[in-house]
Amino acid sequence: MSELPPKTSLRRWFVTTNHKDVGILYTITALFFLIMGGMLALLIRFQLWEPGAQFLSEIAYNEAVTTHGLVMVFWFLSPFGFGFANYFVPLQIGADDLAFPRLNALSYWMYALSGILLGISYFQGGTLSTGWTMYAPLNVPMYTPSLGSTGAILALAMFVIGITASTINFLTTIHHSRAEGMGLMDMPLFTWSILATVYMMLFAFAALLAVALILLSDRILGSIYFSATEGGALLWGHLFWFFGHPEVYIVFFPALGVMLELFQSFSGNRLVGRKWVIIAICLISIQSFLVWTHHMFLTTINLEVKTLMMATSIGISLPFDLVVFSLIYTLIKGRIKFTTPFLFAFGALLLFIVGGITGVFLGAIVLDYEFRGTYWVVAHFHYVMFGGATALFGGIYYWFPKMSGKMYDEFLGKVHFVIFFIGFNAVYFSMFLAWETPRRVFEYDPAFQPMHQFGTIGAVVLGLSFFIMFYNFAKSYVSGPDAPDNPWEYTRTAEWAVSSPPPLENWGGRPSYASGKLEFVSEALTPSDDHDGPAAATDGGHGEGHGDDHIESYPYWDKHASHASIWPFALSLATGIFFFGLSGVSSSIDITTADTLFGTGITVSNPVYPVFTALGLLGIIWTAVKWGLEDFYAPPMEIAERWPFEGVEKVKLGMWFFLASDVIVFGAFISAAVFIRVAAGWYTWEPLTDSLPGLINTFVLLTSSFTVILALVYARRKSRKGLIAYLSATILLGLTFLSIKMWEWHHEIYDVGVTLTQNSHGDPVQATIYYVTTGLHGLHVVIGLLIAGFLLVRAWNGAYQEDPRPVEYFGLYWHFVDIVWVILFPLFYLF
Amino acid sequence: MASDSIKLYALVYVALVGLATSKFVFFEFDQFFTYEQAFAGTMGAAALKGALIVGYYQHLKWENRSLTYLMAVALAFALLLMAAATYSIT
Repeated sequence: MSELPPKTSLRRWFVTTNHKDVGILYTITALFFLIMGGMLALLIRFQLWEPGAQFLSEIAYNEAVTTHGLVMVFWFLSPFGFGFANYFVPLQIGADDLAFPRLNALSYWMYALSGILLGISYFQGGTLSTGWTMYAPLNVPMYTPSLGSTGAILALAMFVIGITASTINFLTTIHHSRAEGMGLMDMPLFTWSILATVYMMLFAFAALLAVALILLSDRILGSIYFSATEGGALLWGHLFWFFGHPEVYIVFFPALGVMLELFQSFSGNRLVGRKWVIIAICLISIQSFLVWTHHMFLTTINLEVKTLMMATSIGISLPFDLVVFSLIYTLIKGRIKFTTPFLFAFGALLLFIVGGITGVFLGAIVLDYEFRGTYWVVAHFHYVMFGGATALFGGIYYWFPKMSGKMYDEFLGKVHFVIFFIGFNAVYFSMFLAWETPRRVFEYDPAFQPMHQFGTIGAVVLGLSFFIMFYNFAKSYVSGPDAPDNPWEYTRTAEWAVSSPPPLENWGGRPSYASGKLEFVSEALTPSDDHDGPAAATDGGHGEGHGDDHIESYPYWDKHASHASIWPFALSLATGIFFFGLSGVSSSIDITTADTLFGTGITVSNPVYPVFTALGLLGIIWTAVKWGLEDFYAPPMEIAERWPFEGVEKVKLGMWFFLASDVIVFGAFISAAVFIRVAAGWYTWEPLTDSLPGLINTFVLLTSSFTVILALVYARRKSRKGLIAYLSATILLGLTFLSIKMWEWHHEIYDVGVTLTQNSHGDPVQATIYYVTTGLHGLHVVIGLLIAGFLLVRAWNGAYQEDPRPVEYFGLYWHFVDIVWVILFPLFYLF
Repeated sequence: MASDSIKLYALVYVALVGLATSKFVFFEFDQFFTYEQAFAGTMGAAALKGALIVGYYQHLKWENRSLTYLMAVALAFALLLMAAATYSIT
């Protein structure tokens, strides 16, 4: 652990793990990507000034459309909202920091560096040109062969890895670190929106990770999932949109949370129907996973599924109606202050209503046949997603004083809003008027040209409006008046009860809502009311704090919280280097097959990418080990509300959230296997391999599960010998599993002739599915063995005698890998 | 609090080995079982094995019930994806 340098030091921003610093990093980086995505949008609009490829070449236009979509959806919208979430969720719930500060910094660096990888992809022979939905089979190398296309997908995969870590972190924080007396229903509505968002992200982004991994397998290893005639293109549609529809709400909900906060703060009125709004948010989160095939109405899926999801799609508008009416009635019952933040929030509501109503058309099958593939869809989703983001701009004006300690210029803020709102509607409403224009292409009926030219002028106005915002913030930060702790008259949340900006450790005493309003308790475990917070209160929450993580149960209880570590940045950098290398490794290495493994020839035509891959991999292992050895202490809140996960220790809770996410990853792989087999005809396939090696491996893994649990038992009994013996046995069994697997693959490839793309028994895609799915499982075993090796060395040196929990966490992972094999064995060896 | 009984964990291990063997038997002795019976029996055995591992070795039996619900939701979403996607092409 290193000390946290001052804010003026550049080094601070590379080592900080403090949630407020990371929040600022997210916000600034997201605004950078807003500029990048905005410039790409202007390129698109200039191309549409007149029909045809007048401004950009055909492929450059396709790349601009694709990158604009990817950047705005992934690298701007969500991270912008999560900049606020990082900064304000811990403050709003009374926590000191996020549950896992280093993991939080890792998430940020994965995000930032993945964006750089995406930028680099432009210089690798051109980036992806498929559109942001990356539809198959356009996404396979035959149609998008550039290294940059692979690089862009690797960038996306890296982004998803980072965001998964962030998701687990927020879930654990909100469920484990709420101040005494703050029940779930008492949480501020922004925090509620983030909680719903991260639950959706936990499951949705796992599906995106799975589909990205499968696509990368197709692009790097040469597998044939998405080029398979046995439903490959439809498979992409299902897997992508299972993620893609919740993603709409994942993007919108943080903005909705800002809207809910700002409507209360600037109407001076508590949200009307608050409880019902929370219920509606929960309903939408669940329903978001039940509507995805409305994006596939034009495909050949059957009418029953289309009709069912038409009904669920129309149904999801009902809870949204409730939220909208709640916001309207909150204003009607309040006294509105037309500040800049409120104007943006109110504007966001108006834009979202337009986006929502026009979206209902797309949820009806017959209407969708007409509108799909036109600018109606483009206009609709910009009104929803960018319209929602309008509230986030309200959020940055609202919280700028708290984050910077300075007040912004109100007049310039209002000018920004007016120009923004005019530009927004000029560019996007003109799309509704020219809706028959086909989307994704630059050829259109010249009759629509005046409308497109009007839209292009609107886009320029929209873009220019942001210069006012950047100027306003820069000038205010340098020479603006100091912001008071609470510059707004009527606020309800705890961030306004501390100084602007807040101190590093957030609070002077332990925050408590046990009396129904915010109090700071000065003695660690003895509540008192020696200092009242200015205005923050729960909405009536009373309760006892739960001491599941009593400070005495931690061996490092007398240590101070750490705020600095270089390893999140270092691990992310190593991952970025590894992924950059992977983007070109398949084109740099030529493998000539032979009758035996030893006869296989490897020719390296370009050493750059393989060297980057190897360096990156070594870097990942080295930095991960350094991370594991670092003396970094993130103290749990000893008194906190933890419902509904009382009694579950912090890291264990995080591990379970990770496993829930991994269930979806493997679920998507297994779904892909079942889907393609059904498309090919279930009974036409026989198992590719003999069942005996699979059965032996089943016994090996089951036995390793038994040895892991024995390792934990002996660790709890403080038996160093027992712990070492059973950890060693687990490693040996894991290695045995991999050895049998390698023998099996060798036998299949060299004796039977079944390779990744060749299958003498039948459909080649069957071989692809077998190798890739069992390969992913094998990769999990390898990662488990690396962790087990780390634990063994530490155990040898006497670790885990006082605190055996790391052995239990590893066991949770290892048993999960075992359970996955329980499903894979019959799927690939018996059925 | 999770159990520390080696005897209990050994009994679970024996049950897991037995169930794993049963899956093999279903398909190896196909003169006794139709494909559909073997399929159902195998999936049943797999579900039971999974439940034993997650319940006893991952200690879910002794943990806060909310963790069970969390994993059940994840499993339900995975099954939903599989069922709806596969049914859509039938």
